[in-house]
Amino acid sequence: MGIPTTPQITVTGERPSRLSRLLKPFAFMSLPTAVLAVLFLIPMGILVYFSFQYGDLTGQSGFTLSNFTDTLTDPLYREIALATFEIATIAMVAQLIVGIPLAYVLAYKAGRFELPLLLALVLADELNPMVRIYAWRMLLGREGLINDALTSLGLINAPIDALLFNKFSVIVVLSTSYLTYTVIPIYASMKAVDSGLFEAAKDMGAGWFTTFRRVLLPLIAPGIFIALLLVYVPLFTDFAAPSLVGGTSGIMLGNVVADMVLQNGNLNMGAAMSFLMLLAAALFSLLAYQLSRVKGGAK
Amino acid sequence: MITLSSLTKQFGDATAVDAIDLEIADGEFFSMLGPSGCGKTTTLRMIAGFEEPTSGRIELAGEDVTWTSPRRRNVNMVFQNYALFPHMNVRENVEFGLRIKKLGKAEAKERIERMVAAVRMEGFEDRHPAQLSGGQQQRVALARALVNQPAALLLDEPLGALDLKLRKEMQLELKSIQQQTGTTFVYVTHDQEEALTMSDRVAVMNGGKVEQAADPRTLYQRPDSAFVADFIGTSNLMTIPTGQRAGEDIRIALPAASPNGEVTITVRPEKIKVVASEPADGSYARGTVLENVYLGSMTQLIVEIRSGERLIVHQLNDEDGREPLAPGAAVILAWSAEHSYVIPEKGPQ
Repeated sequence: MGIPTTPQITVTGERPSRLSRLLKPFAFMSLPTAVLAVLFLIPMGILVYFSFQYGDLTGQSGFTLSNFTDTLTDPLYREIALATFEIATIAMVAQLIVGIPLAYVLAYKAGRFELPLLLALVLADELNPMVRIYAWRMLLGREGLINDALTSLGLINAPIDALLFNKFSVIVVLSTSYLTYTVIPIYASMKAVDSGLFEAAKDMGAGWFTTFRRVLLPLIAPGIFIALLLVYVPLFTDFAAPSLVGGTSGIMLGNVVADMVLQNGNLNMGAAMSFLMLLAAALFSLLAYQLSRVKGGAK
Repeated sequence: MITLSSLTKQFGDATAVDAIDLEIADGEFFSMLGPSGCGKTTTLRMIAGFEEPTSGRIELAGEDVTWTSPRRRNVNMVFQNYALFPHMNVRENVEFGLRIKKLGKAEAKERIERMVAAVRMEGFEDRHPAQLSGGQQQRVALARALVNQPAALLLDEPLGALDLKLRKEMQLELKSIQQQTGTTFVYVTHDQEEALTMSDRVAVMNGGKVEQAADPRTLYQRPDSAFVADFIGTSNLMTIPTGQRAGEDIRIALPAASPNGEVTITVRPEKIKVVASEPADGSYARGTVLENVYLGSMTQLIVEIRSGERLIVHQLNDEDGREPLAPGAAVILAWSAEHSYVIPEKGPQ
């Protein structure tokens, strides 16, 4: 009794139309979307456009697929692609092997040193990459610290040349370049895992490896996935490290693209190569995402 | 049987557990009760193996396990926050321990089904912990521990996170699961009512020491120390200078064979009656009602007696139409001699 009938209620506010409700979230996103379009999508479009063009010294230009067919059929590029894959994968695995325990120590064992250690890790990344690479050259070189130490200790007679200007040195340098980006997402996902779970696992008889594999790993899989995205893709396209410590055997795809554009002046071919690498990175990301879902258990 | 011998744990300079001796019998529901910081959880964690004792011994079924890894002790723990594996469903959680023990598939399946049924979680096997209520998570944690058929189950304030009504239900359920399985339960709580309702025996702990370990009835009726008397239920503690206190407004009669000298007595609030005139024998005290609090089944009176002490009196509301005693009313309180329980003098420690 006394309750007003429904028509009065609708007068107070117009129910927003279906269309405007659908568009509302996009309105909030309009500015970031515009920024993204200008800074990301337009250059990307230009890259794709160039990759389908040819141009020669006579000034002729037009549409072509030859940039792609040339890249994909050249055995030299295939070999470099394989080497790149090998170097990037080994460096990624090495960083995970170092990074996961490091993240574990930071998240659970560091106590009051947690913040200083985290800060040190971030600062380590602030170091100019060139300086870092030259530091490695001083360590690994013919007259470098390692060879000097080994010779003066009498462990070797002549300096080892195999330390620098090859695949090995590229892997070493790359393995340390992105450690911050490997550790931080894994550390963040560990912080969300209750360390009481490890006690529970231990209580039921699990050793450290079982606890790691069946409890910790599935729970930090999303963090590992982010680390893979942040690190593996840049590892794949790195060209500073291979050009400074790679010598002739440590060449990676990034060098090929840089040479194609900067040395040969063939922007179209470089664009096609970049586009192919982008596709590979996108495919890889999807794969990593799927893997992390399987590991983490479907939610 | 679990035997603790002069078990001690120090954290730096602080002594969390101070040379305690306890024996817990097979199939017993044993509680460790005390305020926070009394050392009860540390003791439990030492039995589980998560803390290493500074000194002393822990024996499980006659075997010295003081330095054995928690992995190899035949005890399981139910954690305060349950510590269920969030990425596993109920079945996988319960299965965890059995997979590590590499139990045969058929037997594992049978045990899991039996345990899930015992904690009344049938039909929830495929749910993840996030999809369960607090009480349900609690049951899964219980099943996950009990499925390993431990010699003893260690429970660290397992009902602390539940609301009062659910906690009462789970108390009964825990007790019935304990009786069904016949497993020794070692239960840590700061809730005296919880300890009293469920336990066969309770160890009241304070400052890292066991004040008294006894069945609930003994703890309530014959507390060994003022701390126990105060911690278990409500009690009126009075220190009587020499012998019996007697005067115009008060007379305290002690039971026969009470020691002379200064003694501390405790009188339970429900033993004190409000009477019309001074009784011929037993104790009485004249006083004034300060407060009356209606508690449903009873009324709690706070009475200040002439000597200045305040006594708590519980009156059962078993008669209709009885006028509540208003603040300011003069009353005579009486109780019989045997209800002045003399707390034993503690010897030098």
